[in-house]
Amino acid sequence: MTTLDVVFVLLGVVAVGAAVLVVTTRQLVHAALWLVVSFGALAGGYLMLTAEFVAWVQVLIYVGAVVVLLLFGIMLTRAPIGRSADLDSGNRWAALAVALATAGVLVTVLVRGFRTAYAPLDVAGQGAAKPLGESVFRIWVLPFEVLSVLLLAALVGAIVLSRREI
Amino acid sequence: MNTYFHDYLVVFVLVLLGAGIVAGGLGGNRLLRPHRPTREKLTTYECGVDPVGEGWAQSYVRYYVFAYLYVVFAVDAVFLFPWATVFALKGYGPTTLGEMFVFLGFLAAGLAYAAKKKVLSWV
Amino acid sequence: MTGSAVLNTVAIGDIQAPHLEYGQLGPMLLVFGVAVLGVLVEALVGRGWRQFIQVPLTFAGLAGAFVWILVLGVKDKPLHVAAEGAVGVDAPTLFLQGTILVLALVSLLLIADRQNGAFTPQASALPGSDAEREGIASGTVQSELYPLMLFAVGGMMLFTAANDLLTMFVALEVMSLPLYIMCGLARRRRLLSQEAAVKYFLLGAFSSAFFLYGTALLYGYAGSVRLSDIATATGNNAGSEPLLLAGIALLSVGLLFKLGAVPFQAWKPDVYQGAPTPVTALMASCTLVAAVGATLRVFYVALENMSWDWRPMMWGVAILTMLVGAIIAITQTDLKRMLAYSSIAHAGFLLTGVIATSQAGLSGTLFYLAAYGFTTIGAFAVITMVRDAGGEAGHLSRWAGLGKRSPVVAGVFAFFLLAFAGIPLTSGFTGKFAVFKAAIDGGATPLVVVGVISSAIAAFFYLRVIVVMFFSEPAADGPAVVTTIPTAAAVALGATVTVVLGVLPQPMLDVAGQAASHLFVR
Repeated sequence: MTTLDVVFVLLGVVAVGAAVLVVTTRQLVHAALWLVVSFGALAGGYLMLTAEFVAWVQVLIYVGAVVVLLLFGIMLTRAPIGRSADLDSGNRWAALAVALATAGVLVTVLVRGFRTAYAPLDVAGQGAAKPLGESVFRIWVLPFEVLSVLLLAALVGAIVLSRREI
Repeated sequence: MNTYFHDYLVVFVLVLLGAGIVAGGLGGNRLLRPHRPTREKLTTYECGVDPVGEGWAQSYVRYYVFAYLYVVFAVDAVFLFPWATVFALKGYGPTTLGEMFVFLGFLAAGLAYAAKKKVLSWV
Repeated sequence: MTGSAVLNTVAIGDIQAPHLEYGQLGPMLLVFGVAVLGVLVEALVGRGWRQFIQVPLTFAGLAGAFVWILVLGVKDKPLHVAAEGAVGVDAPTLFLQGTILVLALVSLLLIADRQNGAFTPQASALPGSDAEREGIASGTVQSELYPLMLFAVGGMMLFTAANDLLTMFVALEVMSLPLYIMCGLARRRRLLSQEAAVKYFLLGAFSSAFFLYGTALLYGYAGSVRLSDIATATGNNAGSEPLLLAGIALLSVGLLFKLGAVPFQAWKPDVYQGAPTPVTALMASCTLVAAVGATLRVFYVALENMSWDWRPMMWGVAILTMLVGAIIAITQTDLKRMLAYSSIAHAGFLLTGVIATSQAGLSGTLFYLAAYGFTTIGAFAVITMVRDAGGEAGHLSRWAGLGKRSPVVAGVFAFFLLAFAGIPLTSGFTGKFAVFKAAIDGGATPLVVVGVISSAIAAFFYLRVIVVMFFSEPAADGPAVVTTIPTAAAVALGATVTVVLGVLPQPMLDVAGQAASHLFVR
């Protein structure tokens, strides 16, 4: 194991640990903040795999925008600041069983599927913005344009559902 | 690929350095300053006025639209980076240039709609 | 496993500019373009004028796209892969897109009918608050409805045409998101409507995650998300089996959810009941066509070599869907819920056509979709007409004796129900016959037996509604039948098509057969 492998594994442990804290913490706002740690560790993982553009997208969109959205969502509710006593549901053991089973299946599939698969990490600049741009603006042009339609539809929808004035 | 990790090692060291400066400053301050808390000192500072109510206020749904606009433009920005690296290349040219403006144009329509519905104005 | 296959496909010496076939993508681009125009109308036009501009604009956009599709279908041999391989423009796709557009036009009649007042004037107003009363008094409507509908229809068209899983995912989101919002806009019973929207949104987001995870695993298997590349990879046995099987399973969950197949049907009754009835009509017809279209493409193109692996699973799903839909429908007392369960059962019948994996199966499914779409819009249109003081009279007991008060409306509704049941001389019979025959030819006789049994079970509850309408005494304070021109037109169209496709199905069967003759492009 090289240093890089160790760093990668440590980032993975941080990501999983923070994800567990997201669902076990008794404070809603802390859950959102632990999500930042989890997403951040994932971004680090992408970096270690030389997918640098994806890593920064993760930071910009998930750590930045999505968590902000989440915090605004929490602030819309009447959730109390600090500890909430009623965050636990009676179904949590069932939920735990389902989560463990799902994780078991997916881990098994991925391990069995990719055990002997190796992708070279030493191609210079393969995860940078340019090769991604080349394929987005050549092969995925139509989905890319439709994405703007999706964002527009979501924007219009959000305004329809929230605004007071007509 | 060593240059790649080397570059990011520099970034990482810089981040650590930044964190060290902040932590060092605050920690040094803590060690050097006297520490005599009173009730008044511990209240939240609110422009010199006595704070009213709790620290938590339910926010309006209209702020949610601001947050959502931020997401939209973050996604938009994310596509601008790869686009900026390729649109001048051989084999892309005006088509790709135009495509990005179509993308931006659609979002601009959404922004115009939001502005017209007074979602963007501060109330 | 080629981690960078997508990147590698960009050839080094390739200096052709990226190319979009505007002619072949025209119908979709037109719908999206008109939708954006609609948003601009919302932004720039005064409140009083919006409705008068939006409705003709939306009509023109949908009709224009339909004409374009007719031209494409008649003019050249449609068998292309367009937009750098992201979209397949072939005869089945054009048929499905045309069906979606026509059904959307009929649904638009219901949505645009202001007199039936299905939509809330202000979605953000709390139910029962002063703001809500003010909104109703002002008589305004949220005319953003029309652009949202166009976004959804455009997404549906792309969903059926997508030739790779990534485009399909984007289309799935474009089609679902506006529908989530439209579900929450009912005027009456606001809380039920909002509950429907939230349920649909949460479950839909969950199923999208399944779809995406399946896509990722299939990409891991084949090194590409292109349907044809996945087919090639399965043909060569190129990758690792667990990834492929898990990928198929997760992808199927995403698709079957949109279809409303058991065990992913839980959203359907709640959403169909809570949503404004015109939106329910849109979902029950157009969304179903889109979902079946995408399912057909995935299973016929990408997974055709794997049919031995997915068939047993799909058999199980189809059998469960037909039986559960038909049996639970018997216990329903709300008409919209009952039609939702009926729609679940019909999804099961459609799946038998998918399982046939043959040209006959494809053409039968295409015909079934067109026939069922018209019938179901007609049925929901009748439901919007039968009204109490508090809106639609959804409860079955309120429909008692309707046949004596308004024999025409009750008769037409009874006719739609008979078409659902698959009585001869209705389009439902022809459609069921077509898919069942294809399934038998494909060696799925037990499936057809289950299908016939569940049709018989289903016929029981359709007949129960007919008996309630015609053979019980009307209550003194029974609901009134309110006839408006657009809604009546939608009912008439639905009834006409149901009759014509039942009595003279051959021309339409020929069109569907011709569309299916080349299967999908790859």
